[in-house]
Amino acid sequence: MEEVKAKMPRYYLAWAKDDAIRKKGANGGFVTATLVSALETDFIDVALVVKKKSVYEGIPVLTNDPEEIKECSGSLHCVPLNLTKYVVEYAAKKRIGLPTKPCDARGIIEQAKRRQVSLENVYMVGLNCGATLHPLRMREIAAYYGLDPDSVVREEIKEGKIFLVSDEEGKEKEKWMKIDELEEKGYGRRDACKSCVTKIPTMADLACGNWGSNDEKKTFVEVLTDKGETLFKNAVDSGYVAIEEAPGKGIETRQRIDAGMQKRAASWKEKMDALKALSRSERFEFYVGALKNCIHCGACKEVCPVCACEEDAKCTGLYDERDSYAISMYNLVRIFHLMDSCIHCGQCEDVCPVDIPLTLIQRRFSERMQRHLGYTPGMDVTKKPPLYETELGWSAEAE
Amino acid sequence: MAEEEWEPKILAFCCNWCSYAGADAAGLERRQVPPTIRVIRVMCSGRIDPAFVLMGLLEGADAVLVTGCHIGDCHYVNANYKTRNRYEFLKEFVDELGLEPERLWLSWISASEGSLFAEMVREVTEKIKKIGPSPLRREWKK
Ligand SMILES: Cc1cc2nc3c(=O)[nH]c(=O)nc-3n(C[C@H](O)[C@H](O)[C@H](O)COP(=O)(O)OP(=O)(O)OC[C@H]3O[C@@H](n4cnc5c(N)ncnc54)[C@H](O)[C@@H]3O)c2cc1C
Ligand code: SF4
Ligand code: SF4
Ligand code: SF4
Ligand code: FES
Repeated sequence: MEEVKAKMPRYYLAWAKDDAIRKKGANGGFVTATLVSALETDFIDVALVVKKKSVYEGIPVLTNDPEEIKECSGSLHCVPLNLTKYVVEYAAKKRIGLPTKPCDARGIIEQAKRRQVSLENVYMVGLNCGATLHPLRMREIAAYYGLDPDSVVREEIKEGKIFLVSDEEGKEKEKWMKIDELEEKGYGRRDACKSCVTKIPTMADLACGNWGSNDEKKTFVEVLTDKGETLFKNAVDSGYVAIEEAPGKGIETRQRIDAGMQKRAASWKEKMDALKALSRSERFEFYVGALKNCIHCGACKEVCPVCACEEDAKCTGLYDERDSYAISMYNLVRIFHLMDSCIHCGQCEDVCPVDIPLTLIQRRFSERMQRHLGYTPGMDVTKKPPLYETELGWSAEAE
Repeated sequence: MAEEEWEPKILAFCCNWCSYAGADAAGLERRQVPPTIRVIRVMCSGRIDPAFVLMGLLEGADAVLVTGCHIGDCHYVNANYKTRNRYEFLKEFVDELGLEPERLWLSWISASEGSLFAEMVREVTEKIKKIGPSPLRREWKK
């Protein structure tokens, strides 16, 4: 048995000792084994994982059954869920463990700032994240590959390529293409993910992924917090997880890929900003043109991982169906309230029934404010949202 | 109607203890304050929710003035620090939305500064006359 020393190094390669878990897991099942061990050793009350329904669909499951956690291993790239609101709604008072992409972890931290959860109770097993895809976009890719979208049984993203396997009348067919090439042609990742620069969840308790690992069945793990260290130690000591120190080369590789991904994201952000070249009045026309289509279904508020308001909120309260403004108070207030806190996850756009480009709009408003404030939401629970501060860190002089 | 000069509508939020008294003083001192101004009195500038400002703009104000006691003089300890903070957000918001920055003003006015109040309203009126009506108003759905 491996012995975990008192002063731990930060980086490991880790995998599930149980062969079945290791085989089914995305990269050796470390995440699954860690959650199972946490549950069985009474470290957590429940786990929140994602269950596969099909290549294009997964549902969040809150469970205290280790078998169900095992069933839910593997990475689902066409499930652009954000898990934050499920934690708040169903497990705010419980000790919970869950896998978190960077946008899940950042949402949870923002909710903790707003006293909706206590981070002490939440064990965030972070996942590196290159992207999620909208299920409809993945179906388009399948069709583009010449596969019947309905018969796709497996998807995988590795080495910058999207692999799809279809099963047509018992015959398996595998097709792949580079993401870069697909995206040149207009297929591919969600806009939010293309331009997302937080690829390694440094704000979670652990960060897990395949970057830096030399074996498909070993997860590269970075231990980030004391809580993460306790969780990790527990998984090793209870015999669920095997570890070895990460090779120096792996650490470098991981950093290099991360830096490359961030650079690419930054250039996508530039490329996708349709408003960059517009004048002030053209910008106004754009916002009016886009937001006047809103039917006030409230879905964008419901899914937003940083919004902590109940149904009765300022945005909904100040909006009246009888109003006839082109841009409603609902949208003005929502955009205003998120200027310091939007994490650009794109959940709002995913659910908008009238396809308003909300990721772009929220990003335009919030990014300039966050730059102005020198504040990044979702990274550090001790940093209060500046809109609630009495004084800003820098002094704003009155005109 | 067509020949008449267009008069902007300017909305001013004034706090009870300083800037409202300042506006009052302007009247008492018989200073000319342009009739473009509409004053809403609040107890403190800290009560001016940014949503009020946005709603004012939506309702057809061509400019909104946020006013209160000088920093350090707020009658509710430090509430106008919050006003100042929120104003930073409003400034960025209005600019990004595509409205001219001149449609938003922040000013600290004491009870004795009637002349300052009158002067500010004159200045804002002049500026707004130059840039014209707010496009938000024009954008009411038909
Ligand atoms: C969408 C996505 C993109 C990723 N991109 C990268 C990448 O670019 N680079 C990299 O190094 N690693 C990436 N990973 C992480 C990697 O795929 C593995 O999850 C990680 O190495 C852990 O492997 P494991 O075998 O220990 O996990 P497993 O034991 O297989 O456990 C994975 C856990 O993740 C949960 N899960 C699956 N899909 C989702 C989802 N969409 N949202 C939230 N939770 C989910 C499962 O329910 C399960 O509990 C990504 C993961 C996901 C989900
Ligand atoms: S927004 Fe970033 S962290 Fe969230 S799914 Fe997309 S790439 Fe991953
Ligand atoms: S406003 Fe949209 S992009 Fe921003 S945090 Fe909320 S859901 Fe995510
Ligand atoms: S999801 Fe779209 S239509 Fe619904 S309230 Fe939000 S912006 Fe409006
Ligand atoms: S009382 Fe005047 S600003 Fe607070």
